[in-house]
Amino acid sequence: MELIQVIREYLYFFTTIALVVILYAYILHLYRSEKRGEADYEKYGRLALDDELSDKPIEENIKKESEKRESIKES
Amino acid sequence: MQTNPALEYDYSISKLFLYATIVFGIVGLLLGVVIAFQMAIPQLNYLAGEYGTFGRLRPLHTSGIIFGFTLSGIWAGWYYIGQRVLKISYNEYPFLKAIGYIHFWLYIVLMALAVVSLFAGMTTSKEYSELVWPLDLLVVVVWVLWGVSLFGSMGVRREKTLYISLWYFIATFVAIAALFIFNNLQIPTYFVSGYGAWTHSISLYAGTNDALVQWWFGHNAVAFLFTAAIIALIYYFLPKESGQPIFSYKLSLYSFWGMMFVYIWAGGHHLIYSTVPDWMQTMGSVFSVILILPSWGTAINMLLTMKGQWHQLKESPIIKFLVLASTFYMLSTLEGPIQSIKSVNALAHFTDWIPGHVHDGTLGWVGFMIIAACYHMVPRMYKREIYSGKLMEAQFWIQTTGIVLYFSSMWIAGITQGMMWRATDEFGSLAYSFIDTVTVLIPYYMIRAIGGLLYLIGFIMFTYNIIMTIVASKEIDKEPQYATPIAAR
Amino acid sequence: MFSWLEKNPFFFTVAFLVPFSIAGLVEIVPEFAQASRPTEGLKPYSMLETAGRQVYIKDSCNACHSQLVRPFKSETDRYGMYSLSGEYAYDRPFLWGSKRTGPDLHRVGDYRTTDWHENHMWDPESVVPGSIMPAYKHMFSNSVDIDTAYAEAYTQKVVFGMPYDTPNGVALGSYEEAKALIYDEAKAIVADMKNQDVKDALARGEIKEIVALIAYLNSLSNERRVAQ
Repeated sequence: MELIQVIREYLYFFTTIALVVILYAYILHLYRSEKRGEADYEKYGRLALDDELSDKPIEENIKKESEKRESIKES
Repeated sequence: MQTNPALEYDYSISKLFLYATIVFGIVGLLLGVVIAFQMAIPQLNYLAGEYGTFGRLRPLHTSGIIFGFTLSGIWAGWYYIGQRVLKISYNEYPFLKAIGYIHFWLYIVLMALAVVSLFAGMTTSKEYSELVWPLDLLVVVVWVLWGVSLFGSMGVRREKTLYISLWYFIATFVAIAALFIFNNLQIPTYFVSGYGAWTHSISLYAGTNDALVQWWFGHNAVAFLFTAAIIALIYYFLPKESGQPIFSYKLSLYSFWGMMFVYIWAGGHHLIYSTVPDWMQTMGSVFSVILILPSWGTAINMLLTMKGQWHQLKESPIIKFLVLASTFYMLSTLEGPIQSIKSVNALAHFTDWIPGHVHDGTLGWVGFMIIAACYHMVPRMYKREIYSGKLMEAQFWIQTTGIVLYFSSMWIAGITQGMMWRATDEFGSLAYSFIDTVTVLIPYYMIRAIGGLLYLIGFIMFTYNIIMTIVASKEIDKEPQYATPIAAR
Repeated sequence: MFSWLEKNPFFFTVAFLVPFSIAGLVEIVPEFAQASRPTEGLKPYSMLETAGRQVYIKDSCNACHSQLVRPFKSETDRYGMYSLSGEYAYDRPFLWGSKRTGPDLHRVGDYRTTDWHENHMWDPESVVPGSIMPAYKHMFSNSVDIDTAYAEAYTQKVVFGMPYDTPNGVALGSYEEAKALIYDEAKAIVADMKNQDVKDALARGEIKEIVALIAYLNSLSNERRVAQ
């Protein structure tokens, strides 16, 4: 029983450390990849603003293709 | 891809949930005001025989606000935002539209049954999941229908990337589903014994275990309904209303994952100094304090979105509601961790400081966010400008005063009570009998009830404004892009 | 690397579920077996006490009263010995409460009597001047649901192994036996009460809610917890 308790305390301690490391690494990753030009995150912020049906999506969802053909067939 | 120009977003489901938000809002707040006055004037317990006592009304108030007002508001938001950020219309998808309608009407049936059964005293006693087991099953069905709508809509989306709001909707859906099921595992006694009421059941867990599961649920149900789902709303409505893209998309990514990693662990803070093992209580405390970071990440993101745009705060009452909501979110996410610190908790637990904390979150953050969302959506759903800007201003200040009265009186009441419980005289014996610690609080209970009443009055003004907007306001020919048009009257 | 996640609802959900489940498992599972062990000599709730517990839940007494004495001197001075996990082993659901508008009740059976409760529930201010608790006069006219009390006790016994019908322990027996027992218990409580309507009702074979509630409150005492 004692032993389990000790193991658990260590586990808990290291989980906390790991969490901190993971979250810091994540935010570093986010900023670095944008700096290197691999990703542009901020453009997605426009999703809430340009949300009319007639607005062009930032990236088309490909699945849409098959349905488009269907709707053409129907009309 | 060319879209049919005649195709428009379908707001019919969102409208239904909007009506529900208003009705449950009035009922839930009214019940809250009644029970608040009952604590100051106990005679008010006898207005409706056994059905009017504090004990019967309290679960009705909490369920009415959490599962009535808040959930309706969240779903009104989902059926509005969902189509827009995914760039689909339910007019194209009759299946999703039908699911939405079934979802709404089953939910209304469920809420009606919930009201009746809670008045009758049919309760499991577990806070925020008081409903008896047959109704729990109905809850599951309603929830699954929302899931079908949620993932169904995403399945047919035109926009590849899911907007921030949708992350929080997904988290809310999944978390509440798991929490609710585990907390409500129970054995119906009639089917075991063949005797008694068929609606009666007992919990699968006993004592300390039951408490653990209950507060794992209680904490996280609040975490996801009052926090995640409301964050989903503000991430859409604040940028859209102000015309400013979110200050930092990266920060929103970070706060989302940070919150998901940390929030679940914090449930133990409801059980500090109970018979739950020490290490778990400590963990509850520590994670609660860490939780400040991702919570403030979201709130700061909101406030920075307004950078350079603060003049809007003066010009638009809707922005006022949104910014104050973020501010109250910051306040309550700081207050909560403070209360989780063991030595503070020793004083605060079981006192009025706790309801005080809950209410600056619910009245300030949840209530204001949903009100702002309605003010933003209604003119677009009905193609009319908001009936009265002056009324909105007045409502804003009346409700804000109400909230301030509420939480300041409960802070004082809670700390007074906590101090008096532990006060000793020079010989080390207790200085006060329990009743002394009750009578001293009556003035604060009165102030709190008046604060609640002010909030209710503000909500009735809101209701009037919304109804007048729908029936009598000036029509607008096209959907406004950003700021909502508001009549000067 | 990560931005694909926000483009895929399924994997997004999975990614959320991972931290969510780990936290849930670590938090809850390990303590389960340990916390559910009853303290030595802990007695099950009798038929009338079970019925009383149902009344306590029906009127949400737990909305204002806790049943958890925390390990501080100020609390043990006021309410008695601090609560132990094993004392709750038969409590389904637990009734710790989260707010003390009124005092803690976990040891109320040690210092209050049937007579006191009767006066208090009829008119709280008659025994506690200044009390803001409402009177519960309807408990003097509503009858308890004996069948549901039996159903609950029986479920506790057969599903969860609650030790009914042990030598010198609390008896439950068959439905008929349990019914006879509950009337005996009710007679003992009513003998200490003054209210004539409640006495008359018992003579007619009806047990009023107040009788069961008092039995339950009296059972929150050392007598039920400690081996004889």
